[in-house]
Amino acid sequence: MSKITKSSTAEYFAKNLQQVGFSSPLKAVLTTLKEAVDNSLDACEGAEILPELEIEVKKVGVGSTKNTDLIRIVVEDNGPGIDGDDLAKVFGEYLASSKFGRGQCSRGQQGIGISAATTWAQMTNAKGVQVISKTKNMRKAISAQVDVDIKTNTGILRNKETLEWKKNNGTRVEFLMDGRIQMNGDGGLLTYIEGTVLVNPHLTVTYKLGDTDKGKIERVSNETPDIPEATLPHPHTFKLGEFITHSHLYGKISLSKFLKTGFSRISDQSIKDFVKHGMPKGLVDKNLGSMSEEDFKKAFQAVQATELMAPSTKSVLTVGEDALAKSIERLGQVDFLSVVTRKPTICDFKPVVVEVALARFIDRGSEGEPVQLLRFANRVPLQFDKSGCAITWAIESVNWKSYGLGQPKESLPQGPYVFAVSIVSPFIKFKNASKETIDASDELVEEIRRALMQAGQKLSRHIKHEMKEADLERKLAHIEQFGPILVEKLVTISGANASRKKKAEEGLRKILGRDSDEAVNQLEEAQTKLAAQKQKEAKKMGSAADEAGKGS
Amino acid sequence: MALIKVRELRLDIPKEAKNLAERMLSDLEKSKRPYLEAVKTSLDNSNYNAKVGYLTPGDKIVRTELNVSSVQKLARVVFMLEILLRNLDIGAVNTKRELYYICKGLIKGDGRYKPLDFDDQDESDSIIDFIGDMLEVYREELNCYANDRGGQTYSQQLVVTETLPDGDKANVDLSTLGTTPFQPKNRPQSLKLKAKKKIDFCLVVESEGTAGTLQSMGFTKRNNCILMGAQGVPSNGVRGWCKLIENQLDVPMYFFGDLDAYTMQNIFRTLKAGSAASLIRNGDFSAPNVRFLGVLPGDVKKYDLPHYKVKESDPAEARQLKKAKDALENDPFFRDKKNKELSDILRWLIKEKIRCEQQSYFSVDPKDPIKTEKIILEKIKRGDYV
Repeated sequence: MSKITKSSTAEYFAKNLQQVGFSSPLKAVLTTLKEAVDNSLDACEGAEILPELEIEVKKVGVGSTKNTDLIRIVVEDNGPGIDGDDLAKVFGEYLASSKFGRGQCSRGQQGIGISAATTWAQMTNAKGVQVISKTKNMRKAISAQVDVDIKTNTGILRNKETLEWKKNNGTRVEFLMDGRIQMNGDGGLLTYIEGTVLVNPHLTVTYKLGDTDKGKIERVSNETPDIPEATLPHPHTFKLGEFITHSHLYGKISLSKFLKTGFSRISDQSIKDFVKHGMPKGLVDKNLGSMSEEDFKKAFQAVQATELMAPSTKSVLTVGEDALAKSIERLGQVDFLSVVTRKPTICDFKPVVVEVALARFIDRGSEGEPVQLLRFANRVPLQFDKSGCAITWAIESVNWKSYGLGQPKESLPQGPYVFAVSIVSPFIKFKNASKETIDASDELVEEIRRALMQAGQKLSRHIKHEMKEADLERKLAHIEQFGPILVEKLVTISGANASRKKKAEEGLRKILGRDSDEAVNQLEEAQTKLAAQKQKEAKKMGSAADEAGKGS
Repeated sequence: MALIKVRELRLDIPKEAKNLAERMLSDLEKSKRPYLEAVKTSLDNSNYNAKVGYLTPGDKIVRTELNVSSVQKLARVVFMLEILLRNLDIGAVNTKRELYYICKGLIKGDGRYKPLDFDDQDESDSIIDFIGDMLEVYREELNCYANDRGGQTYSQQLVVTETLPDGDKANVDLSTLGTTPFQPKNRPQSLKLKAKKKIDFCLVVESEGTAGTLQSMGFTKRNNCILMGAQGVPSNGVRGWCKLIENQLDVPMYFFGDLDAYTMQNIFRTLKAGSAASLIRNGDFSAPNVRFLGVLPGDVKKYDLPHYKVKESDPAEARQLKKAKDALENDPFFRDKKNKELSDILRWLIKEKIRCEQQSYFSVDPKDPIKTEKIILEKIKRGDYV
């Protein structure tokens, strides 16, 4: 028999980096940038700091692997900074996270991403990440290189030194790695920056990507998002295996105590209900440590069979309609837009909130092309495997023709639009560890679909107004073009004389004149409706601007 | 009945058109909205009475009244009507596609007509159909003929006499044509049929290829019959030809095709009772006495015929099941009690979710090249048809 060996978590990920977003040189660059930015934004939010990021992605040479470039990725923030003692853990150890499984809507969840980026840099360029960080309490900043010790899954600091730094607090990370730069398109860096900007109205970012000029996008909101309290998971979202693993976190306590403290919505009454639904009474006070797998199964089955209150929706956060509306104007010249923030709801026993922003742009996209779709999960752009995502499914299931957009069968609608759909939930179910697509459950797709239809209705008022305008123009043209031909041919077929022809032409003009008056009225009606909606929107934007003013 | 009126109107198309133009013009003079009305040609306006034998139009009409949106259609209708009237006047005939190009030519010649231009043939076709439905005349009566598709016929007994437009007569003895089939024309009304010897039956085969095989293997030599290939959905030519055979020869007619909803409704029902699109002319373009010889559900079991499962997961195949359900619910032909045995086949298709092709008879005794013929004859003899 071959020898069974045990490998560390780091070893596993080092061998399977493709699972966490490092499956190609293009993705490696984007994923690294993404992980670094996620960490910065989460850290700023945690410390209630308005984030100011400086990003640089640049080709600096030839990569060591075939067909790659050597890429430098720098992300610098004004966040709280990281203590010297934590640096190695944060950047060099897998599954070392302040957020794992705690049920908050933070961007990062597991503590895999940035360590994977370090591993990639180390594997392709023999050097981990170069970090500079300073907290308020530190007199000088720390600079060090962090590597991952793959055998033991621990971070190692190298060349540690202290230095004077321009910032009072913040973190700067610099990766040198093999990769390739793609600017535009679904998987492009610019698309990522735009997406991140869109769902983070409070973010100011300076960026220099590839050979393009430096860009700067200012924040449009001065409020740091209020991250809601963490929530405990709902027992109905668990599978038996997860249930048992979850219990290991709670040590030697009784089953009933574990159920009450490890999950939401379980009360003493629920425990009694579990017994009614087949949980052996003896298990209630049994210590977790002495429970057999069979015991866990019985308890688990009873929990699943019992009706429980739906989980609370307090744990989700939204960007908000007004902030989204202002934020989307940072992407280009908006012709008109429609934003919808749904009320938080429960899908598959998990609290979820869906937000949608649909905007037509004057300076991007075109009529015959599919709309640009920006997908977000917990305010992180999703840029790969669009076709498998719940968001895409929901968009394709809506009949956009009824809102005035072109749409080929079972595909995305067309036109110079950006469709941004954001899903926030403390427990988003992704299809894979690299968080690229949201798993499509019927309930979730339906919720997204509703948000889209609401936004579509608002959008259609703008479009209908335009259509009525075109309609009137067409109708007026029709009268001029077809009227005379109709009369002429009727005269020929019936053999009527010239005076009858003239009389008929007059009659025709009268009839069609009435019709065009009606078309004018319809246009006016559409105009009034649109004006009313615009006023409403302006009012909202106004109040948002007021709030922003107060904040500064 | 509407159809008889059409027959009476037949010679008066120019007069009818003139009246129509006169009426519309006088409405315009009074600033009244002129309108055009046509029979609604759809399944929901189709009636079926087993005694009549074919689908006839109900009371529903499509009314197009002049307004800013319809002025284009009305202008196109009178524009096309003028072309058709001229054709009738000088005795010219055209296909729909040719008419499409004639319109293009006229429009090119006069800038004022530019807005009328058709983007594709569908647009001009629908105008031609509308004119036919409006005047309640056949498209053929407007001198617009479709391509003669399908209906290739073989017989050793049949003689066809055609009266040509100039009054001459042409005699075609099908037994002298060798391996060449007789191709019925799209105006079967000008043909006279005669049987040299008593004809026992007429067999219409869905697949042209299989009809050819039967012929090559000597089917018409061994049997006093008429053998015909339908080539899928029967064209007007095939339908009118079958009607003519039924009227003039009084021979039993059998249809042999696939066992699926498409064949049942689109092919067999169209042959037997006409279609919803051609409501006003089904009287002359359907053969109400034709019987469905097979493939019957019973044959599948009896001859152990290879068949296919209709996969509900495949949208194209699932449509077959939906089609069968739709036909049972909405098609007056299948809803009629007299056709219960036919609708039972649809019910069987829905229940068993299988389909079986006509060529599967060739699996029964693969070494006998005329086994299919033997089965067909056996079924006719036994009265094993619906």
